[in-house]
Amino acid sequence: MEIVRCEGIRKVYGSGEEQVTALDGIDLSVDRGEFVAIVGASGSGKSTLLHILGSVDKPTEGKVFIDGTDLAGLDQTQAAIFRRRKVGLVYQFYNLIPTLTVRKNILIPLALDKKKPHQDHLDRIVCSLGLTEKLDALPHQLSGGQQQRVAIARALIYRPALLLADEPTGNLDQKNSREIVDLLKLSNRSLGQTILLITHDEKVALQAERVITIEDGRIVRDERRR
Amino acid sequence: MWRAYIADHVKNDRSSSLSVKISALIAALLLSLLCGLFYNAWKYEVERIQLEEGSWHSRITGKPAREDIEAIKDLAHVKEVIVDEKGEQGEGPTVDIYFDDMRVTFSHTPLIAELTGVPPEKILYNYPLLAMYLVRGGEDRAPRLVFPLFLLITALASASLVTIIHNAFAVSMNAKLRQIGILSSIGATPAQIRACLLREAAALCVLPLLTGTWIGIAGSMGMIALSNILLGNDIPGRHRAVPGYHPLVLLLTVLVTVLTVWISAWLPARRLSRRTPLDAIKNAGELRLERRARGYLLPRLLGVEGELAGNALKAQRKALRTASLAFVTSFLAFTVMECFFTLSKISTRETYFERYQDVWDVMVTVEDAEVDTFGETEAVQALSGVESAIVYQKAAAERIVTEEEMSSEMKALGGFSHASKTFVGPVEGGWLVNAPILILDDRSFLAYCEQIGAEPRLDGAVLLNRIRDVTDPDFRHAEYVPYLKTSGTGGKTVSVLRPSDGDGAPYGQAAVPNHGKDEGAAEIPVLAYTDKVPALREGYATIDYYELVHFIPASLWKAVKGRLGGMEAELSICIRGREGVTQEELDRLQEEIRQLMDGKYAIGCEDRIRGYATNNKQIQGMMAVFGGFCILLAVIGVGNVFAHTSGSVRQREREFARYMSVGMTPEGLQKMFCIEAAIIALRPVLISLPLVVVAVGWMLKASYLEVGVFMAEAPLVPVGLFLLAIAGSVALAYHLAWRKVRRISLAKILRDDTML
Repeated sequence: MEIVRCEGIRKVYGSGEEQVTALDGIDLSVDRGEFVAIVGASGSGKSTLLHILGSVDKPTEGKVFIDGTDLAGLDQTQAAIFRRRKVGLVYQFYNLIPTLTVRKNILIPLALDKKKPHQDHLDRIVCSLGLTEKLDALPHQLSGGQQQRVAIARALIYRPALLLADEPTGNLDQKNSREIVDLLKLSNRSLGQTILLITHDEKVALQAERVITIEDGRIVRDERRR
Repeated sequence: MWRAYIADHVKNDRSSSLSVKISALIAALLLSLLCGLFYNAWKYEVERIQLEEGSWHSRITGKPAREDIEAIKDLAHVKEVIVDEKGEQGEGPTVDIYFDDMRVTFSHTPLIAELTGVPPEKILYNYPLLAMYLVRGGEDRAPRLVFPLFLLITALASASLVTIIHNAFAVSMNAKLRQIGILSSIGATPAQIRACLLREAAALCVLPLLTGTWIGIAGSMGMIALSNILLGNDIPGRHRAVPGYHPLVLLLTVLVTVLTVWISAWLPARRLSRRTPLDAIKNAGELRLERRARGYLLPRLLGVEGELAGNALKAQRKALRTASLAFVTSFLAFTVMECFFTLSKISTRETYFERYQDVWDVMVTVEDAEVDTFGETEAVQALSGVESAIVYQKAAAERIVTEEEMSSEMKALGGFSHASKTFVGPVEGGWLVNAPILILDDRSFLAYCEQIGAEPRLDGAVLLNRIRDVTDPDFRHAEYVPYLKTSGTGGKTVSVLRPSDGDGAPYGQAAVPNHGKDEGAAEIPVLAYTDKVPALREGYATIDYYELVHFIPASLWKAVKGRLGGMEAELSICIRGREGVTQEELDRLQEEIRQLMDGKYAIGCEDRIRGYATNNKQIQGMMAVFGGFCILLAVIGVGNVFAHTSGSVRQREREFARYMSVGMTPEGLQKMFCIEAAIIALRPVLISLPLVVVAVGWMLKASYLEVGVFMAEAPLVPVGLFLLAIAGSVALAYHLAWRKVRRISLAKILRDDTML
């Protein structure tokens, strides 16, 4: 069942001589439960694609549907609510809220909707990410690997349709990188979570079941590995 | 290279530099204002001393020969010598000496005295004046703290400003933390980084320092001029303050201000220059809490936005310390001041103007006159528009009260057991108490006798036979009981004693030996005992609750004054005009009295209507001065909020981006901003209110005013307006910052690799 559909996405920054085309006619379809890695050189447009899929940015041309929602028709408020409920974003530098504890960082998407968490769901995520002992800590009191686990927990707490991870291992050592990728795989398998992972690390990309390569804003290869 | 780097920052990083500029402006303005006011206060005090004491530096009593005076004039450092044949106090000829260098006063004057053959004990020094120029004599034991106090307050103000404004520099410098890290990583030494930051601070502060200094000077001049208008020039003992300035004050102001700002910049510069390159690049000045926040109220009441706003404010508390301190202190000071003056106004009105409203319209004090020989009594009483005019004078006296004389009610209150030894002393046969005598002109005394139902005679005294319940300190609702027994006192006389000399002996011991002798005592018949007082603007037994007031006619006083003495040097005339008398009528009446007394007596006049207006004017003047300081404090806080909100948007971009990336809507961000602004504006109320309640409660208790009376006139409007002004300014600052925040592009920030 298709959860992501992109039709002819173009994204152009600037104008005139300074115009840069980041994405140039991207057509993409991702099914529910897929674990997709997007690879490409720096400046190839992979992060721009992720931002468009996460409703952070809008395409200059083309259509994007996530779980049946046309992102082009969303205003700022609707886009924020969409981000909160439908996608989970994981960044290279974690982007945790430094003034909130780990527990509150994880729960913030629910809190913004004035919803209470299902305790079982929270416990399962926290336990599987190894954060049980760290719930009352502040982000700066955690290691990089632990902070990234919190970011993943936050991305998963709303059971989003799509988890978007932008270089989630880019700031971590090998051991922590492996653990984070294992956790993503675990959530993909056990929760059936659709994951779209951006990386330039070939080893990480090979953990995904499908690898899409982008060059100069275009998909040049789309390879299913199993 | 550094110059180009600094110039680039100053030019391009305007928002975060604004906070520094405003801080420097505030520091310069305040210190300049303070120095200007201190200089003018010092100048005013010097002028006051010169007016009251004279502007001489040393004075020799006695008249030297003409050639001696010429010789004194020729001495080094002697600027002027003035001979007064009579002396200011009538002490005989005096020679006033002025030096061009005051520091030689204490060394040269004894030499001059020796030269002219005057003994050292005939030398006087103008200690108060000399002390104002920091010239102190060894024999001057008075503290003379004005000058040291000014210096201490300036130093304290400077230190306080450092603790407050260094955060503005810290915020501005923190915004460049990443650049500092990069500079450090390419080999800049801590000293170079520090110098770079300090040069940048200097470049930012030059103009604000100059502007603030000039505004402060103008402000100090304006406040002195305003004090003349508000406090009035017709207040006895107050002369008009002439605003002034001196180049040395400017020099001192600039020095103190530059030092204050330099220390404020140096503290964060030193801290930042010591950061390691990696640490500086990684932690680029982001808001964060050192400890977990434990607020429950905001999340429960206002949701996650409330919690985030509360946490953000906690993380910014250092940067907003100026505003917090300024708002709390200004609101607290303003509210307490308003409450204090409201209470003071009510109290004065109740205990003075309303209480004596039907008693007097004009009070005249006649110097060096005695009621029994005063020749203008009838003329004053006959003036048109005068309903009544009582000429009276007070004399101190004492008498013995025996156990038998005391009323049963007085005994029930404990007799003299509560009395202070300052006022009442046990003597053989009873207690010696103060028995002040109020001598009324004969006509007024007879009218008073008629008023109280006593036989109108001029050969006896009327005793004010009442005493307060001394066990109840509530002076406003005092209960009175009879002091002495009145039954079986027909034909009684009272033995009134000359007052003791105040030689330091326990009360009464000096007076008792005179008792029974003709000299020092007088037997006065008692015409009546009463609890009613004549219509005079006088308070009785206000300090000494046990004094027993005697009213006697002037003709009787004439007969006994030789034995009693103790009369005050001036007499008073209490004049009442017609009901609803106008200010113009009172002015005319006072003018007629002046004409009547002209050339015969030195008099002073005051009238009730103008007195009430002057009292209100003085209260308003003081409120305006104190209120001005409160407003100035609040303006400092507002400046800090404006500077911080405009300067920190860039610094907080990442924070806002994070909120947006997890799904916070623009409305949520706006709500968060509103909560932050509301907390900043309303926190002073929450902190101040309990303190204000305690302070007002204490003031009400001390003044014995009822809560309802105060609440009916409570200064809710000015306090509300003050709060609204603070809240409005904070709201405006946040609104302007919000206009920048809402333009933030999440995608643009996420594209930036520095989103660490």
